[in-house]
Amino acid sequence: MNFTAAEFRKLILPTIVALVLTAAGAALIWFVNGQLLRANATFSGVKNDRIQARERLARISEEEREVKERIEVYRRLRDLHIIGKERRLDWADAIQRIRVQREMLDVRYRIEPQKTLMSIPGKPGKVDFNASSMKMELALLHEGDLLTFLDDLRNAGNAYVSVRRCLITRSGTAASPPGTPTLTPRLRAECQVDLITVMDGGAKA
Amino acid sequence: MSERRLLYFTSSSHQLYAWRAGKLELEGDFSDNEEGVAEFQKFAKLHSKSLYYILADLAGEDFHDEMIPWLRGNDRQAVIERRLAQRYRDTRLAAAISLGAIAVTGERRNERLLLASFTNTQQFSPWLDALAGAGAKLAGVYSVPLVAPSVAARLAAKVGTKNNRLFVVSMNSAGLRQTFLEEGKLRFARLERTGEMDAEALAAFVRSETLRLVQYLSSLRVLPRDGPPITAIVVCPAGQRAVFEHLLPSDGRLTFRTIELPEAARAAGVKRADGIGAEQLYLHLVAKRAPKDQFARSEDRKGFLLWQFQRGVVAAGALGLAACVLFAGVKWIEVLAIRDQTSIQQGETKSAEQEYQRVTSTFPVTLTTTENLKATVNEFRSIAARSAVPGPALAYISRALEQFPQIELDQLSWQAERPGAAEKPAAVDPSKPILAGAPPAASSSPAAVSTVGEFAQTLEISGHVNSTQRSDYRAITAQVQSFADALQVDRSYEVVRTQLPFDTTSAGTLSGDIGSSEGGDTPRFTITLLRKSTK
Repeated sequence: MNFTAAEFRKLILPTIVALVLTAAGAALIWFVNGQLLRANATFSGVKNDRIQARERLARISEEEREVKERIEVYRRLRDLHIIGKERRLDWADAIQRIRVQREMLDVRYRIEPQKTLMSIPGKPGKVDFNASSMKMELALLHEGDLLTFLDDLRNAGNAYVSVRRCLITRSGTAASPPGTPTLTPRLRAECQVDLITVMDGGAKA
Repeated sequence: MSERRLLYFTSSSHQLYAWRAGKLELEGDFSDNEEGVAEFQKFAKLHSKSLYYILADLAGEDFHDEMIPWLRGNDRQAVIERRLAQRYRDTRLAAAISLGAIAVTGERRNERLLLASFTNTQQFSPWLDALAGAGAKLAGVYSVPLVAPSVAARLAAKVGTKNNRLFVVSMNSAGLRQTFLEEGKLRFARLERTGEMDAEALAAFVRSETLRLVQYLSSLRVLPRDGPPITAIVVCPAGQRAVFEHLLPSDGRLTFRTIELPEAARAAGVKRADGIGAEQLYLHLVAKRAPKDQFARSEDRKGFLLWQFQRGVVAAGALGLAACVLFAGVKWIEVLAIRDQTSIQQGETKSAEQEYQRVTSTFPVTLTTTENLKATVNEFRSIAARSAVPGPALAYISRALEQFPQIELDQLSWQAERPGAAEKPAAVDPSKPILAGAPPAASSSPAAVSTVGEFAQTLEISGHVNSTQRSDYRAITAQVQSFADALQVDRSYEVVRTQLPFDTTSAGTLSGDIGSSEGGDTPRFTITLLRKSTK
């Protein structure tokens, strides 16, 4: 038995219906697969969040201990104005004060523009460590003057003083010529120090 | 779903029934003449979308056992068509019913067939042509014996017999129909006219005709002569069961089982068929689940086969959709399960975060957030660990210098190097001698100072030796070497380079001016000292 062309034409509509039904089924599977992938991705993210939250909760006693330990250091840094904006005028005042107090001879300095030493991501804001490089030339009677100056500068606060290098050179004799009222420096020191300050993006007012 | 209509075809009448959800309704009775055929065609035109089944209940039906080789596919079909053509003059209405395989020892496997047709097929032609002319779909032409196996299966279950040889006896409109079945397959049937009879006469007629049929089949050796009794299921008219049971006693050849028509109809699944004889059982089963075997050729059933093909294509699409929906359903359940899990995880996360917030709220009041506090202090400590002041190094050199009053320093350079900064080896002038310590490149190698957590202080000491003749190279060398050794008393300090004011190596030039004035510049030496610290 063979079908005629006219009879075959009667199969077109059922074939289209069958194809539409199959395509609808395929589309449904595609849609559900997409939903499944999305659900899996969301689940992975949420699972990681949960693990992190649980771990953070588990570490809370350790964190409390760390906070207690660090809070004192942080307070000290803030009281010393190491945390906060640069205070260049205070630096200048401190150098002047040390020179007078220690009866030092010549003190020359030059502070370079501030640079960012490092930036650490934090919450809610980042923590920037900034450094201003200062070059100094000191006329010394003896090497102790240099060490005293550096100690005083560090104790003055307003920045953390990190000494990078010092060059001490013999420059003359200690004794002044007879009848000369002023002292003549025996040594010259050239030093480079970094004046480090911290900008905390999460600091409370 | 297309409506189903059944034409009950007998020698005296042509009744058309509509089958709707198990109910048979008489729609027309067409006379056996041209007017009747024309009327039928007119009706079929009006209901051309219906499926038409013809159920013949005629006396002139031939059954013939045939054996063909065991074949499949087109070969089998060709052999069957040839056998039918050999047996019957007109094969427009002929059927070959398979009775199964038979294997004779030493011979090839064969298939037993029951060839069936009507002695007068011409009586169907006007009706088949009428259907074709009306554009109606002929589902098939069946005879009551072809449907009898289905009826027998239901009635046998009802009367509780499991005999493999059965007679099904029913009082149809066309007459007394007797069908013999073996192993559930049709073997023989006959129709005997019945006139107006009362119950007793009818029961006696059933008994006598059944015994005659047994004798006939025995003579043909279809039935064994000394076999077990054969069950005869008799469908009697309503209310006559007692009479039939009384007049149909079982004996050594036959075991009668009587069932009334209404009960048999219920067993067959007929819901309603008022005023119809036992043919209702056969009509109903043809409409509900027509047997595979029927008489009409494919050409006469073309409309029906095309309809089936259309439904098949759509059904395949629907099946595909159903499979997809099922698969998608399973996946969707998975999605819902994952969403549930996600929701649970989110709840646990929120709970953990709330607990964290609750606990941290009891922490000491801080001036910043916990994270920034840790970051600030940790990094500050790290910077502080990498910082140094020159005081301790100067004090160390001063203590060493006290042992060498003849050595006087001219210049001292101190440098603190962050990790990595000291990786660059100190510049070495190859023209200048290297006296003590390890080779500079090795001493200041990256491995020595670049480790995280280490930083280095480098001291470069320049000076000269007093109270020694300029030309006394050995004494000057010894003094500088002793001073260098004294600088390494503390193991954290290491002399990485010692530069003398003269070259005592074989590759260099050594000159002297002994005895002349000792004036001129004082020869200077340089010692480079490295202090490595681990914080």
